[in-house]
Amino acid sequence: MNAPKSALSPVLQLEGVARRRAGRPAVSDLSLSLEAGQVLGLLGVNGAGKSTTLAMVAGALRPDRGTIRIQGEDFLERPELARQALGWLPEAAPLWPELTVREHLDAHGRLRGLSGSRLDEARDGVLERLELKSLSRRLAGVLSQGQRQRLGLACALLHRPALLVLDEPANALDPVQVVALRTLLRELAAAGTAVILSTHQLTEVTAVCDRVAILHEGVLRHDGALSADQHAALEKTFFDIAVHGRAQAA
Amino acid sequence: MTLLAVTRLELRRLFVRPLGWIVAALALGELGWRFALLLQIFLLNQVKLAALPDGPGYTDLVAVRMYSSFITGSPLPLGMIELALLLVPLLTMTTLASERSAGTLPLLFSTGLSASRILLGKYLAVLVWLALWLLFALAIPASLAHGVTLDWGKLAAATLGAFLGLAVLGAIGVACSAFASHPAVAAVAALMIGLALNCINLGAQLAGINSGFINWLAMSTHQETLLRGLVSSADVVWFLLAIIVALALGVQRLAADKERD
Repeated sequence: MNAPKSALSPVLQLEGVARRRAGRPAVSDLSLSLEAGQVLGLLGVNGAGKSTTLAMVAGALRPDRGTIRIQGEDFLERPELARQALGWLPEAAPLWPELTVREHLDAHGRLRGLSGSRLDEARDGVLERLELKSLSRRLAGVLSQGQRQRLGLACALLHRPALLVLDEPANALDPVQVVALRTLLRELAAAGTAVILSTHQLTEVTAVCDRVAILHEGVLRHDGALSADQHAALEKTFFDIAVHGRAQAA
Repeated sequence: MTLLAVTRLELRRLFVRPLGWIVAALALGELGWRFALLLQIFLLNQVKLAALPDGPGYTDLVAVRMYSSFITGSPLPLGMIELALLLVPLLTMTTLASERSAGTLPLLFSTGLSASRILLGKYLAVLVWLALWLLFALAIPASLAHGVTLDWGKLAAATLGAFLGLAVLGAIGVACSAFASHPAVAAVAALMIGLALNCINLGAQLAGINSGFINWLAMSTHQETLLRGLVSSADVVWFLLAIIVALALGVQRLAADKERD
């Protein structure tokens, strides 16, 4: 008996993805794949192409070349796959300032095809999980940066996507919330969610990721497994690529 | 359905922002004042008008004149259509331009929505808002229906003309918002295009030319027929064409957002 295509395929597969921005290559010939339950940390200095990569994976930006597959399906041919399979938290968590926390979650839920009791259940679940219940009637425009970030994360998680794309998710979170975020991501991974997150913080990667990819000037320079005791090795690899890469470019 | 999810989201945003309410309240206030003046003029001339065999009545001189001064030749400024030229751009300017400036537009794309669904969803929300505004405006002259002889057919045709005009201005506003990075730019662009579309044939009319392409191009030409109580499919098609062209341009621009730097 044939297993369904999505069960055999990686959750995310990028092949030869390239994208120019502002007249220069932002991402060049990027290929990587992500299995269910993996947490991939995307590292790189500012301008390395992390956010561009994540925006392409999230369907917000179209690559100039290459293919992106989500659960084995061509994402560029079928962008509607994003509706249920993908959750995205962009950098700085953009929100509608005139809507409340609850209205944000309802709107995102409906955009993802949730309604009725499924929407209520999903909304209440993420409000509880991300400690937003007491803020549910507050306007997004008056939230603190950390609260905005948690709301953005709640919107990305609401429909329980198979692939979670997070751009600097720990931004503006306090140390307690950072630890809670790490726990949440590990729980999601244990439940089979594939997570790709970009960050500047190496400690974040070693604490939560089981794989790391390092981008430099849009090119993938390193992609490998990671264990919690490899912080020093990762630091050396990262600085080798970032500093030597810069020196070579200069 | 995701299209309706976008409509619902946009309607919610329109309802919670004070701008939409202020615009609607000011417009209805102006229309109420206009109604009182038109009624006063009508009552002053009622005896003279009654003597005419086919003289204009309440519908022609009050109800239909609520919709336009420019087209109906009313002595009072700013009927609903003229007000809409100024106010619809204020209502539509944020639909997409503010999504772009706030960074929420990529979020909408990331839900798998196509540019056409995003834009149509937003346009439907604007249309619902404008229809509600029109209903409230229609209620003003209709409130005297029990005491006057109202030509419902003529009023329905005029209301259709006003609604189609609002729908065209709404489509232009949403399209301008799709092109602009800032809401104010979208509002100014929509205002200028709306004015141009309404007045493009003024020069030709002053020169005594009442037919030809330039007159066909003007929205006022097609609204005039409807405000006189005549529903012609050619006029309705003009409005539909104008809406389709505006929305198609908006969709094209919005789709380019995913390709742009």
